[in-house]
Amino acid sequence: MIGSRLWLFQRISSLFLLVYIIYIALFFVNNNNISYFDWTLFFLSFETRVLTSIFFIIVLVHGFIGLWTVGTDYLTPRTLGLYSSFANIADSLRKIYQAFFVLLGLFCSISIIYLIWS
Amino acid sequence: MQKIEVNLYRYNPEKDRFPYMMSYSLDKPKKDIMVLDLLNMLKEEDESISYRRSCREGVCGSDGMNINGKNGLACITPLSSVIKKNKIELRPLPGLPVIRDLVVDMTEFYAQYEKIKPFLQNDTEAPLQERLQSPEDRNKLDGFYECILCACCSTSCPSFWWNPDKFVGPAALLQAYRFLADSRDLKTAERLDDLSDPFSVYRCHGIMNCVSVCPKGLNPNEAIGEIKDMLLKKKKNIIVSDG
Repeated sequence: MIGSRLWLFQRISSLFLLVYIIYIALFFVNNNNISYFDWTLFFLSFETRVLTSIFFIIVLVHGFIGLWTVGTDYLTPRTLGLYSSFANIADSLRKIYQAFFVLLGLFCSISIIYLIWS
Repeated sequence: MQKIEVNLYRYNPEKDRFPYMMSYSLDKPKKDIMVLDLLNMLKEEDESISYRRSCREGVCGSDGMNINGKNGLACITPLSSVIKKNKIELRPLPGLPVIRDLVVDMTEFYAQYEKIKPFLQNDTEAPLQERLQSPEDRNKLDGFYECILCACCSTSCPSFWWNPDKFVGPAALLQAYRFLADSRDLKTAERLDDLSDPFSVYRCHGIMNCVSVCPKGLNPNEAIGEIKDMLLKKKKNIIVSDG
């Protein structure tokens, strides 16, 4: 059922991303001449912090699933078969590619959570 | 007399290091002919040209090829519908290894077909004559059983090019749904389990190349949508029964 889970996650998460974008858009629509103070106050509120944290975590997971899909499409011995020297190392290349994005995702998550809650 | 130029993909692994395109010039036929007839005319000129053909009426699915950039069956494709400025380009079906000229190795395609178990599975006692179906249940198979396995759809699908060993491909998925939708088949849950990984069905991103090229006018994308629907309903049932 992992296929169905990933498929559903991508769709439901994109709906949440849309909700968050509407939430931010409403802040702009409801406030004229937004000052740095208004902006800071808005981002210091508990609900904005929670929503923003969830938003970035979901963006990272959603993005990783997309990148994993791209990697398993393009970085395979078959896809790189035209260039035989690459075909032999395609699986290793894909693992490096995935490891890079996992590490980048972890670094971004920690940095974002630190920025939002510190 | 007007001439037509045929650019043909040539490759003989015993002689050629790489494939190449060979140009042939033929008198333009007075009446409209099928692309297969054109190939037969070429074969009279050059006997070394290789391609598959059998029924020459769109039933056997042997002569699937890439005609001016679009997959189709040579035997039911009128020359007038594909020729541009008196030029035509014929290549083998994309994505599959070429054995020679327009003949491709379809092992991977058939392996996916085999994977979906294309036969009725019903372990209840066989009735005296046959397993009957209501006309309504029979109608559910329309549009899904007519596939002739020419591979035009699967070989026009980038997901199949990239993962022919993991993504089942539109042709076999159409067949998979034909058995999932059959009221006489009792292995629906097992069939769905076999398709529930991230590759078998979910690598279809709905780009519709399969629908655009199917020479029988079928809609594999609709079948794939139905399978996804069944997979999601099955997942929901599992969550409800677990909860």
